[in-house]
Amino acid sequence: MRQNRMLAILLGVLAALVLVVGGLSAILLLSGRGGTSGTTSTSETGGSGSAAASGRLRLAGADPSTMDPHLATDSTSAEYIVEVFSGLVTISPKLELQPDLAKSWDVSPDGKTYTFVLRDNATFHDGRRVTADDVKWSIERAASKQLASPTAMSYLSDIIGMPDYFAGKAPGISGIEVVDASTIRFKIDAAKPYFLAKLSYPTAFVLDRKQVEANPRNWTRKPNGTGPYQLTEWRLGERITLTAYDKFYLGTPKLKEAVYLLSGGSALTRFENNELDVAPLSINDIDRARDPGQALSKLYQQSTQFSISYIALNSKTPPFDDPAVRRAMGLALDRKKISDVTFKGMLAPASGILMPGLPGFTPDVKTLPYDPAAAKAELAKSKYAKSMPTITLTETGGGASASPDTEAYVAAWKEILGMNVEIKQSDFATFIADQQAGKLQLFAAGWIMDYPDPEDLLDLKFHSKSPLNDQGYANPEVDKLLDDARTLQDPAKRLDLYRQAEKIIINDATWLPLYFSMSHQVVNPAVKGWFDPPMVLPRLRFIEVTR
Amino acid sequence: MGAYVVRRLLWLPVLLVIVSFSTFTLARFGPGDPVTLETQKSRDPAVVAEARAKRGLDRPIPVQYLRWLQLAARGDLGESTLQKGYSVSELIFPKMWVSAQLSLVAIIIVFAVGIPMGLLAARLAGTWIDPMIIGTLLFLQAIPVLVVIPPLIWLFAVKLQWLPVGGWDGIFAVYWIGGVVAIPIPNPHLYIPLVAFTIGGFVGVARLVRITALEVNLEDYVRTARSKGLSETAVQLRHVLPNALLPVVTVVGFSLAGIIEGSFFVETLMGINGIGRLTFEAVTSRDYDVILATTVVFASAFVICNLLAELVYGVVDPRVRLGATRG
Repeated sequence: MRQNRMLAILLGVLAALVLVVGGLSAILLLSGRGGTSGTTSTSETGGSGSAAASGRLRLAGADPSTMDPHLATDSTSAEYIVEVFSGLVTISPKLELQPDLAKSWDVSPDGKTYTFVLRDNATFHDGRRVTADDVKWSIERAASKQLASPTAMSYLSDIIGMPDYFAGKAPGISGIEVVDASTIRFKIDAAKPYFLAKLSYPTAFVLDRKQVEANPRNWTRKPNGTGPYQLTEWRLGERITLTAYDKFYLGTPKLKEAVYLLSGGSALTRFENNELDVAPLSINDIDRARDPGQALSKLYQQSTQFSISYIALNSKTPPFDDPAVRRAMGLALDRKKISDVTFKGMLAPASGILMPGLPGFTPDVKTLPYDPAAAKAELAKSKYAKSMPTITLTETGGGASASPDTEAYVAAWKEILGMNVEIKQSDFATFIADQQAGKLQLFAAGWIMDYPDPEDLLDLKFHSKSPLNDQGYANPEVDKLLDDARTLQDPAKRLDLYRQAEKIIINDATWLPLYFSMSHQVVNPAVKGWFDPPMVLPRLRFIEVTR
Repeated sequence: MGAYVVRRLLWLPVLLVIVSFSTFTLARFGPGDPVTLETQKSRDPAVVAEARAKRGLDRPIPVQYLRWLQLAARGDLGESTLQKGYSVSELIFPKMWVSAQLSLVAIIIVFAVGIPMGLLAARLAGTWIDPMIIGTLLFLQAIPVLVVIPPLIWLFAVKLQWLPVGGWDGIFAVYWIGGVVAIPIPNPHLYIPLVAFTIGGFVGVARLVRITALEVNLEDYVRTARSKGLSETAVQLRHVLPNALLPVVTVVGFSLAGIIEGSFFVETLMGINGIGRLTFEAVTSRDYDVILATTVVFASAFVICNLLAELVYGVVDPRVRLGATRG
């Protein structure tokens, strides 16, 4: 009996406490709301104190899946990695290949030997000089069988001896030679002009051997990199802080500190609360940003990105083995209208496969025009015109409802061509697994460029022998163009080959290019020189914050 | 009773092995694995094979499982593929702690409000107030969490600017009165998530208490207490409430186990670094070790909390003798 009374009393007290404290604090907060954010002391994540610091940029971000340049495959991780680490060459904001750790390089007349000379003032964050041995060790570590990097073969396999080393058949990469402390030589298997562009990718970045070997599991928490910024703070799920490395060999970065706030709700709302300096705009916000009467519109910036979304038709499965069917479907898409309606014009209709700004891009529209009459005519020519097999369009998604643009395409095909296309959604991992197994008949996907060279897209996706060719595309004419372009040294002639290949590929219609991605952001006026590059490249050191 | 507790606890490892093995196997039967996602842009069979071998994914499933079990027994729950370079423990426990704090406060509120509501409804059964209370609470439960949060954020964080837009800052914040006196108050970051977490819970507790209290109100000893001349408040607090609480103890057991689950919706909408979002992301990116570890931790929490609830029940209700009738 006594126990029960105690229990009852305790509960009563608890209930009263909750109500009283809750009510009191609500009253107090509401009455003092003008000064609330100043008077309640919040820990650093609140950031009310961050407005005062000058030279400090506050961005929204996500946790990188890894800070190890040799293992990173996603652009979220790459965004941090390119600031903390560096390699022999880098890509400038104008998308030109520039010397980075290497101050100069020399290409042999046959195009197969590259000799790099390292800078004298290139150092790690701890002050130690970067030597050719560091470069060789880093590349071999990236290519090691033990690390099993998913990107090593894609970016380093042109170096002679690398595939054997990756397979564990050789003790080192024979094609890399340390000439002296500042000079390193690479021998590649063919005269590939895009080899330098591949070296700008994180797989070829330089790491501190002592640090990595001493602490293989945890060295990424406080990496001793060579890039313009040091990772000074990483609180999982909360924030990442990058602080400028004053002795950076290309000059002291203008921006002293960048803070990425990883939690905290809607980015735009935080931007308007002066908690963030840059925020992305979603489709719900774009009208406000475009309205000249709103303050937000003066802070709005947009730029194209090197990424394309497309629909792929697997030419190994009926009815897409018939080019007439593929072309018919391509002629039935009104990209401009669909973009305007479903995306409020936030995505640029694709005029081809190569994106604006990419070497090899031409502004003329190469994609099949919107022509319902021609679409019907093409379909009538097809052997499937009378008996169309079932068609399923697969895309990634949660399964609740199809993406609005996918619904628009399916509706167009039904209306213009009388085709019934079913939409199926898989989660991302399932989609990728099916795509790799070649099981997808018709699917919607995207591609993001890794380095600014058309080879990264046209060769990898459309060469008949490429493992990434998941539409069963095989055109000997295109293969020849791509093979020739691989080793052609004259940049103008080379790009011309890619342009020709692009035209043929579009006409073969195993890809229906849909949209080029665009970045839409609002930027605080105190931030000078902000730009969102079309692909991930180091940019923080060019930015200034005047506060 | 000690022997009873020990017997129950001995089942825990067996249960965990069953749960972990089932989860382990089921996860691996799903299409795709972490290597699929990692290598999506290379697709070189040699690369894929190496990456699989490095993770031990090319061995038969029982062998993989035994390897996991060996390490787990020593406290090593593996490494995350979603967040490389971080061990699973480092990843999940801080997030569970955040989610647990939020959920714990929510539970306290749910019971602190739900129990009196249920008692009140039972006391006033037959009048219009009883169905009104239950009806209102039911209505609150019916509103989906996804629908509740955005309007609240819009109203209180954007328009009125009374509350922060998201994030997590601990349960308490310091409030300065006149810049001189500091008192701890519940952190404003909590308010909107708490609303989302609690509005659905009141009705469950209230109805349970109401039903039991209605039965208890008809019991002889309550009639005796009333005929003895005890005030109605005394009758309610001293006789009805304690007996009405008995089923609530069991429910508390279940609820407590759930505090480490977090909520994907709330955490994503409010930008809270909790376990709910991580669990979802782990499944979509096939982070096997995280999925397994979270499942095993949930299962353990469930068993332990239910055992605790049973023990408390045994203490609170003198009529129950745990383990007495067992051989």
